[in-house]
Formats: sequence, C-alpha cells, structure tokens
Amino acid sequence: MNIYVCIKQVPDTETKIKLNPNQSGIDTTGIKWIVSPYDEFAVEEALRLKEKNPGSTVTVLSAGPSRVIEAIRTALATGADQGIHIEIPETADNHLTAKALAGALKKETQVDLIFTGKEAIDDGASQVSQLVAEYLHLPCVSVVNSIQYGNQTVQCKREIEGGSIEILESSMPVLIAAQKGLNEPRYASLPNILKAKKKEVKSLKLGDIGVSEADQKIRYKNFQLPPPKQAGKKISGDPTAQAKELVRILHAEAKVV
Amino acid sequence: MTWQAIVFLFVSSLAFGYSGYRFSLLLKMMSRQQGKALRLDRIPERIITTIANVLGQRAVLEKKAAGMMHATIFWGFLVITIGTVEQFVTTVYPPAHFEFIGPIAYSVLVWIQDIFTLAVLLAVSYACYRRYILRPEGLGKSKDAAIVLTLTGSLMVSILLMNGFRILGESPWWMEMMPISHRIASFLGRWGFSPELCLNLSTFFKWVHMLIVLGFSVYIPSSKHLHILAAGPNTFFKTLDREKGMKPINFENESVQQYGASKITDMSWKDTLDLYSCTECGRCQDLCPAYNTQKPLTPKMLILDLKSNLYRNQDKILAGKYDEVSSVIDTQVTDDVIWSCTSCRACEIACPVFIEHTDKIYDIRRNLVMMESRFPAEVQPVFKNMENNATPWAFSSADRANWAEGLSIQTMAQNPEIDVLLWVGCAGSYDDRNKKVLRAFASLLKKAGVKFAILGTEEKCTGDPARRIGNEYLYQTLAKDNIEVLNKYQVKKIVTACPHCFNTIKNEYKDFGGNYEVFHHSEFIAKLITEGKIKPTKTVEETVTFHDSCYLGRWNNIYDQPRSVLKSLPAINLVEMKSHHDQSLCCGAGGGRMWMEETLGKRINVARTEQALASNASIVASSCPFCMTMITDGVKTQEMQDKVKVMDIAELIDQATPS
Repeated sequence: MNIYVCIKQVPDTETKIKLNPNQSGIDTTGIKWIVSPYDEFAVEEALRLKEKNPGSTVTVLSAGPSRVIEAIRTALATGADQGIHIEIPETADNHLTAKALAGALKKETQVDLIFTGKEAIDDGASQVSQLVAEYLHLPCVSVVNSIQYGNQTVQCKREIEGGSIEILESSMPVLIAAQKGLNEPRYASLPNILKAKKKEVKSLKLGDIGVSEADQKIRYKNFQLPPPKQAGKKISGDPTAQAKELVRILHAEAKVV
Repeated sequence: MTWQAIVFLFVSSLAFGYSGYRFSLLLKMMSRQQGKALRLDRIPERIITTIANVLGQRAVLEKKAAGMMHATIFWGFLVITIGTVEQFVTTVYPPAHFEFIGPIAYSVLVWIQDIFTLAVLLAVSYACYRRYILRPEGLGKSKDAAIVLTLTGSLMVSILLMNGFRILGESPWWMEMMPISHRIASFLGRWGFSPELCLNLSTFFKWVHMLIVLGFSVYIPSSKHLHILAAGPNTFFKTLDREKGMKPINFENESVQQYGASKITDMSWKDTLDLYSCTECGRCQDLCPAYNTQKPLTPKMLILDLKSNLYRNQDKILAGKYDEVSSVIDTQVTDDVIWSCTSCRACEIACPVFIEHTDKIYDIRRNLVMMESRFPAEVQPVFKNMENNATPWAFSSADRANWAEGLSIQTMAQNPEIDVLLWVGCAGSYDDRNKKVLRAFASLLKKAGVKFAILGTEEKCTGDPARRIGNEYLYQTLAKDNIEVLNKYQVKKIVTACPHCFNTIKNEYKDFGGNYEVFHHSEFIAKLITEGKIKPTKTVEETVTFHDSCYLGRWNNIYDQPRSVLKSLPAINLVEMKSHHDQSLCCGAGGGRMWMEETLGKRINVARTEQALASNASIVASSCPFCMTMITDGVKTQEMQDKVKVMDIAELIDQATPS
C-alpha cells in the first residue's frame, strides 16, 4: 500500500508571536518549528497502517521554504520511509500550498491513501486537506477520530455537532484529515532518529509539477496582534444597578449590543 | 599415608573440584557481559576502602546490633579458618602443625580462636533471634539463611566438642590456652568417658567439622553466601566518590547498536558482581521511598530478580547465544518496577556491600526510552517541551528570564564581568512558587554585594530530567548547548538553588567539556554568612525542620551547610524529622518522577509531609525546587497550609537580613 501524509511545519505552541517590521507576516527569527500536532496524528495513523500491511510505504510531503525539510525529517524519525519537499514561498496561501501538494501527488504512480491533519495550528484555516482532495478528484473525510479499514474501502467516524458520531464509508483512494483522539503519536526511538538522517527527501520546485506562483489566490496585506488582555472589571451595587451597568458596558464600550 | 588422609584428600578434591567449577562458570558469565566498566584507577584508595569495609566491617557496622553480629561471625570466620586450614593440613600430614610459629604466637592464636568460637555461637544465636523472633521486615523469608545459620552453628559446636574431648583425652600444652574449651571439657568430664573414647570422639567431631566446611564450599556458589567471595572484590571496585555522575553514551560510535540494557548481558561485569554480592540483608529496602509507599519496586527484590534472570540465561550466555537471552523486563522486573524509582539513592547508601542499584535502573530505562520509546505516556510532552523549549514544562523559552523583571539583574550578554553566574534552572524560571525563591536568593546576593549575572534566555534545561528518565540523547543535546554557552562566556563559578542542576553541572558536565566550580546556594549562603557578608538579625521565633534533598545530600554529601545556614537565624528552634541526613526520605520527585503520575500506593510526598508534621515544626525548610513543590502539595493534602509553611532556606535568610 502506498500511503501519503501531508504535513505542515508550524511555530511551537509556546511561541510568543511577533510581527515583522512592515506587518506583512510574523517575525520568524528565533522560532522553534514543530510538526503541526494534528499532522502528527496523520503520520501515526499512516505508520500503524503500514505496520499492519507489511510491504507498504509511507511518504511524507510538505510544501514550504527549505526549513520544512526539518519537519519531514522529524516524521521520518518516527518511521516514515521517504519524504518529498515542494519549495514554495513563506507567503504562500492555502490554494498554492494545496496545488503544490496535489501536483507532487499527481506525479506518484499509485496513491492508495492520503492522511493530513484536520487543520494546522498556525493559521487554523482547515482548507488544504479538502483542496488537495478536490484537485486530485478524490473523496475526502475530515475531522476523523476513528478509522476501520476494509478491502479497498474505509469507514471513518467523525464527531459532529451535538456530540453525535457520523459514520462515513468511502472507497479508496481517499484523503482522511485526522482529529485528536485518532491515536497517540509515538515518540521516535533513537535508532529511527539516526536512520532518518539517511532517508531520502526528494526536493521539487513548482515548475517540476506544473504549478506556478500565480496560483496563489490570497495575498496577505497586514497582520495585527490581538489587543493585550485587560484586567477583569467587577460591577458592584444592587442587582438592578449591576444589570444596568452591564448593559451599558456591553452597549457603549464593547459595542456588542 | 593414613586412611584419614586418603579419605580427606578424596572428599576434599570432590568438594573443591565441584565448587571450583561452579565459580569458574560464575566468573565466565561475568566476563561475557557486553557493557563496559573498568575501575582500576586510584588503587591505593581502593585498597584502603576494601580494608576498612571488609576487615574493618565499617559499612556493616552502620547498623549496630546486626552489624556487631555480622562482624563477630566474620572475624571469627577469619581466625577459625586458620584453625580449619591447620586441621586440613595435619589430617594429610600430621607433623605440619602450626606450632612452628612459636609458643607465644600459637598460644595467642588458639586463645583467640577459642574465644571466637563462643562469640560466633552467640552471634548465630542472636541472628536466629533476630530473624525468627524480631523478624525485621527487610529480611523476609529465606531458606538459604536457615541452612547457613544451622551450618555455622554446627561448625562452632563441633569445634567445641572436638576440643573438649581432646582435652579429656590428651590435652597438649597449648590447650591450656582455651578457656571456653576447658569449660566444655569439665562439663563433658561428668560422663567419665575413657581417654581413648574421648580421643575418638574428638576425631569424630573434627570430621564433622571438616565435612561441614567442605559442604559449605559446595553450597556457597549457588547461595546468597556467595557474598563471602564477591563482596570483597565488589568493595574494591566500588564507585569511590559519593558524587557519582551517570555514565555517558558515545552516540558518535556507530558500532554501538544497543543503548541501555534490554537484556542482562547488556549490563557490565560490575553489575554482575553486584548481583553476586547481595546478601539479602534488606537494608536497601528499609529506606526505599517506593517500597515504603507500596510501589512494586523494592531494591532488594530488583537485585534478586536480576540475579535470577542471569541464572535463567546462564546456558545461553555461556554458549555465547546473546540473541536468545531473555528480556531484562519480565514478570518480576516490570515496567512499573523500573518507573517507580525516584533515584533517591537511599538503597545504595544503605548497602553494606556497595551494590549500585540506580545504575541498573538507569540502564534499563535507557533501553526502554531510546530503543523502544516505551515510558509513561505523560512523559512524552515533557520530552517534547525539552526539545522545543528547553524546559520540561510547557513554557516559552523566550519567557525564561521573566522571573527577574524589575530586579535589574544583568545577563551575561550585558555584563560578563562577574564573581559568579546564577544558574536559575527551569523551576526558578517558570514555577510561580520557585520564582519567589530565586527573587529572594538574588536579593540576598545583592545584599552581600556579590557581582552576579544570569544567562537569561540563553539558559536551557540542564537535561537532568531527560537523563534520569533514560533519554540520554536529549540530555546530551541540552548539555552540549549549555556547555557551549557557558564556555563562550568563560564562566568559572556557578551558583544554583536547584540540587538537580547543581549535581548535573558539577558532576556530569565535565564528561562533555564543561568544567566549572559549582556551588549549591546552601553552600554559597553559608560561606557569605561565615565571611560576615550576610548578617541575619531579625529573630525568627519558629520551629523549623530541614528536609534533605536527595541530590544535595545523598548524591553530593551536603548536609551541614543548609543546617548551618538555618542556625544563623536568631532564636530559631531547629528540629529534625524522624528520618534525616543520609537516612532521609525522598519527597518523591527525583529520577524524573516529578513529571510522572503517581498512581500506585501511597503518595511519597504525603509520607514525607507526615514526618515533617510529626516534628511539630511550623516551617519546613527546603533547599530544592522540586522538594518545595512536593512538600507544599503534601501540606495542602493534609490541610495544614494555615499552620505550616514550606520555605526555601534563601527566603528565610533573606527575610531576616536587613538590606
């Protein structure tokens, strides 16, 4: 089975985000980059599937500047077989990223399954997985927290609003976007970390896969940090006065009512 | 040649031949171990240590009654063995009597032997009383012990009967020097046996004695009495210094495929010698925080279980079939056993034959973590945090120096001209309670006029939690990063309020090129007080008890400095808890346990807090951030936080010192 996992490199969850001087993006100096946590569930699922189906290969893809190769190596250290890096600019949007990933996947001879995280924790856009499936004309199931594998089919469970569970069945190949709870990602063993240094990571340019930077649809103009959190306010007085004051604040200061 | 000589030569060659063969197998197994340990440095010190602890029985005598019992049997064994050898020799060749050493020397020798025969008999009686009537928990049940006590007792009785009847039969001149045997003779004399019969009975008991000795030699290799032969060498090869760093792994050596111990054969010959040396006395278990709070780990059983694992694999090891040797983790040594250890080292300090329990646990953890990625689930985020943010907790490395805001403390980058570098550590940097400790210590340093700086955001976790949990690879990454920064600023002196950082930087960074003079803040404050740079003047009318941190006390032998610091407080009433100094009970946070759930048995921090509360102290003084957290939690669990405060020694001194 040929299993593919698309991952994104994101700033570590504890990063203090700063903006670059012209506010066109974040200041990346000193950032510790990690594999987006939902993508780790995707990698783990691929590895477990491979372990159940000997002879399978797991290929990890990531689109981004050259630093994202580090994220691919991290995934290789957990046991993935090979990597593909597609060089796209730091400022790429979801469309260009998805086109790049889909373009690289189209060049593969046989794709049986694609795993991704349900979203990346940096922009939280939840776009790329569906777009990749669309560009590849494949079915897509997202926010999946349990999978049963059949013969050329998969049955996925996903939590939907109200706490209900939706069960979807799809033919393969299919793209599955992982939700937390799908599995517990492993910690890379040292022999695998050392082996990962020698595994192959193929590098592709946009031109190699028939995609161009013109495929970008969104251009970021300006970033702003959220306003600093303010101390809480205590409203005093009798209940009537308190209610009145609350309404006044919501109307006049917060401008929500 | 007499028939006695012929029979003796035949029986003794069988006995010694068999035991010699068994010993050669044990030695061979030891030599087949794959792990490395070579300890042939500092030979004179090793000789002195061995003499003090083997001949002098120093460590054994740490326990008074049981120690005296053992020492008596041991010294008796030495002098009586001379007599046994004499028996063997004269049985084969009667003229080879030891009288040749001269009448005075020989008189003294037989007198000592006679006294010791009774002394050993009394000691064996006490041993039986202790084992079967007092029944200390650590001893447990042991068939071995029953056999050995019976044999030892019988040896002494046979000697006394042999001598008693001989006195009645012929009484050579030197037997006048045997007061005990004479009493026995006068007792035996009541029966009025003929001299010939008495001589024959004497010979009979001589044979009883010799046959028991030969039986003993056959029995030793397969019993806990192997310690008679193993404990001496084990003492000689022991780790000489109290400050013991963990063995580094060389990851650059690509021929190494196995990290840590997955099998007993991955350990070193010294580990095997440790297993041979165990006498099952249970002193290790008596002090173990895990055992005393009903965790599955007991250091004694760990050693015995590893020993039985070794013996189970004996054939495969001797045949060189290392691939077929079974896992070191089995139904006895479970994962829970290995993760229960707080690395407090109470077991090693208590062990009279210097077995190093923690080395084995660390070795097994290294295999579980690095080779198998197998560890308590809650540890994974700890490793990730250390990898990504250089701290075991989920905080940003950018926030590392936030604790010092408003204190105008300079970083090394701002001012490298300093007396001492203040190593803050992760707890001091991020934990709200311990940030206050660091602020108090920094304030003290300022009051004393010490020029100091911090590394600020250039400081990283020392790697200690990763190393104790078994992730040597992650530890080395962090250690090397820190050493690079420290060496960049040419740091010479370091002071830290964290015993874990202290131990790591002081004892373990030198393996990676980090050589510094490192002080724990208790030592540093003690020095500042002695030099008159700090004068605590405000009276502290409180009863204070000091909780020993394992990494300060048992790992680095620092017990007096924190106490002397506390005693400098005017009007303080310093009391000790039930267990203190090297007998102290761990808080439960060492060995990476700080970051693991404690689901088995009673909570260790509660057990320690109960001891603290029983001392009736109003303040529990700590000198370690993890102890601080654990004891504070313990006091809250006991709902005593309104009556008992937990404070760091630096906070107490800072409060009492005017600026």
